[in-house]
Amino acid sequence: MILGYRLQRRLDADARRSAIYRISGAVAGLLVSGLFLLVTGRNPVTILADSFEAVFGSKRGIEGVAVQSIPILMCAIGVSLSLRMKVWNIGSDGQFLAGAFVACGIGINVDLPAGVLLPLMMLGSLIGGAIWILVPAAARAHWGVNEIITSLLLNFVAVQLVVWASLGFWRDTTSMVTQSTRSVPFTLPRIPGFDSVSIAFFVPLILALALWVVFRSTKVGYEIDIIGGNPRAASFAGINVPRRVIIVMLTSGAIAGLGGVLQLTGAPGAQALNGGGFSRAYGLSGFIVAALAGASFLGVLVAGLFLSSMFYAGIALQTKGLSVYIIFAIYGMVLIGVAIGETASRYRLYRSVAEMSGPVDLETVTSGAAS
Amino acid sequence: MMFAIIENAFLSILGSAVPASTVIVLAATGVLLNERVGVLNLGQEGFIAIGAVFTVISVQEWGVENSWLALLAGVLGAAVIGAFFALGVVVMRVSQVLVGLAVALGGVGLANQLGTNRNGSPVPTEIQFSDLDPFGVFADNEFFEAFLLHDPVTYLAYLVIPAALWFLLFRTRHGMVVRAVGENPGAVDAVGASVTGLRFFYTVVGSAITGAAGAYMVLTITPTWSPDIARGRGWVALAVVIFAAWRPGRVVLGALLFGTMISFESTAKARSWNLPFLAAVDMGFLLSMLPYIVTLIVILVPAGAAHMGRRIRATDAPAALATPYLREER
Repeated sequence: MILGYRLQRRLDADARRSAIYRISGAVAGLLVSGLFLLVTGRNPVTILADSFEAVFGSKRGIEGVAVQSIPILMCAIGVSLSLRMKVWNIGSDGQFLAGAFVACGIGINVDLPAGVLLPLMMLGSLIGGAIWILVPAAARAHWGVNEIITSLLLNFVAVQLVVWASLGFWRDTTSMVTQSTRSVPFTLPRIPGFDSVSIAFFVPLILALALWVVFRSTKVGYEIDIIGGNPRAASFAGINVPRRVIIVMLTSGAIAGLGGVLQLTGAPGAQALNGGGFSRAYGLSGFIVAALAGASFLGVLVAGLFLSSMFYAGIALQTKGLSVYIIFAIYGMVLIGVAIGETASRYRLYRSVAEMSGPVDLETVTSGAAS
Repeated sequence: MMFAIIENAFLSILGSAVPASTVIVLAATGVLLNERVGVLNLGQEGFIAIGAVFTVISVQEWGVENSWLALLAGVLGAAVIGAFFALGVVVMRVSQVLVGLAVALGGVGLANQLGTNRNGSPVPTEIQFSDLDPFGVFADNEFFEAFLLHDPVTYLAYLVIPAALWFLLFRTRHGMVVRAVGENPGAVDAVGASVTGLRFFYTVVGSAITGAAGAYMVLTITPTWSPDIARGRGWVALAVVIFAAWRPGRVVLGALLFGTMISFESTAKARSWNLPFLAAVDMGFLLSMLPYIVTLIVILVPAGAAHMGRRIRATDAPAALATPYLREER
């Protein structure tokens, strides 16, 4: 209302405009972060150049980003799925760990050939991830309990469970120094021509494409989007909302859980659970990716690779003034930028003639509009 | 003989539960104040970490030698971040969930970065808060020692702040307006009070109180900086407020429940308690999960009870919680 300017909610929702605003917000967040780096005595331009060099300068960098992106994308796809119905699954870290936990338990305790054991572990990870979100899902669907805090609290439980497994009941006792479980016997094959990227890389790509198709052209996807838009309207239209909410949340958890087994069997040097550090906040990164992409499944792939590059640069440049801590601070700035962009895209500024001219004179207003 | 051991364990759990809960009481009081004006502040982890790191910096770098001034440094640090948070969610009306999570994530990252290389150098004993014993009798009796021999911040957090908050919210005209901002901001706007102003002010004050929780941690409980210092306490504080039905007095009780579990865990580990079927080590791991599981159950119970038809309203949450207010959309 300053200088006669007012905010007005736009009546139409335009996906492209929303995306442009969100990306602009993310860029603004990065610029502010650069300013922060400058203030704390680092040169953001050098860091950016070094980051590009670390990521794109070598085959090792590109492979590193690809390896990082698998868990981040899996969590992001899970979060996006629940976000389609405006459900905030912040517990994907816990679901990721739960999936890895179940898969690890099967892998080190069951003696079967690889062709049977690996699918069994994957099935177990899906179930583990789904179980980890079962209570928040049921409470949200039937009792209306907000899922943000319930899903998040279970992250801490999952971390403790994995720590317990690593130091306690599944600990590798062949060495006194290890603080991890025994290793699973089989790993996924590497993509031909790559040293460290396993075929797990294709799983999030295929999954995102499949979900994109589901939401584009099936009744189920359409119903989920309706619930996200207006649950009451969906209920009146005959959609069983609580059941849909539970199924979507369990699937969301299962996808994050599958990310856990892909990490366990696919990532180089991750064949055992080593405490809570097994997940390097992949769930939170996944959440930001989902927010940045606005829960669009194709957008998730782009945003996920972008964030994975940032994360990899943060690890690679630890000696050059960057750290994982700074990366998380930058993540926060990017998320705020995205949130501001998302809000801004829903409003427009307009200048009200009536407020400019003091007391409202109906004649002036109408004739002004006519001319 | 057996009896004496149990009694001592009981007292030692209670004695450490009270200060352990002070952090949660302060953080939950901050949450309560935010949510009473309709602002969902998910950034608690960030505010605790910021409060803690600024207190440590004030002692190690700015040469602060007074406990209260060090506490103030943490409080002000959190208030500054809180002002940015309020600018986003109150003035610009951006999604409270997204900005809150951004503060939780970015605040912890920022605090960890500012705290790099400060690990392991403790806050000097003379700057830490010491226990109050005005009559010189608390230390003599083990019951008094467990219940009453605590530092001044604990007394503030348990008695002074909740009482003052209760009085402000439920016994003054201003408090009625404050509660109305969280329930029906349109009505507050209609009587001419500023929704934006009230929300902004109490969001900053709430964030500052949460910052005090972090400052208290490094001034008393673990008097040294360590990365990821909040370790989920911020999220527990958010849950405690739900359990407490947004009432200051019940916040204290809810927080005490959590603190008791934490000190039960440490006592059980220190004394190697075990169950017949569970080794002491495994018992320790199990107990580490317990606080979060109990917190989860505790927020499910009221909703479940409402569903079973025991209560009319599903939750006592302020009706306008997490809803940005824009007059044009009233």
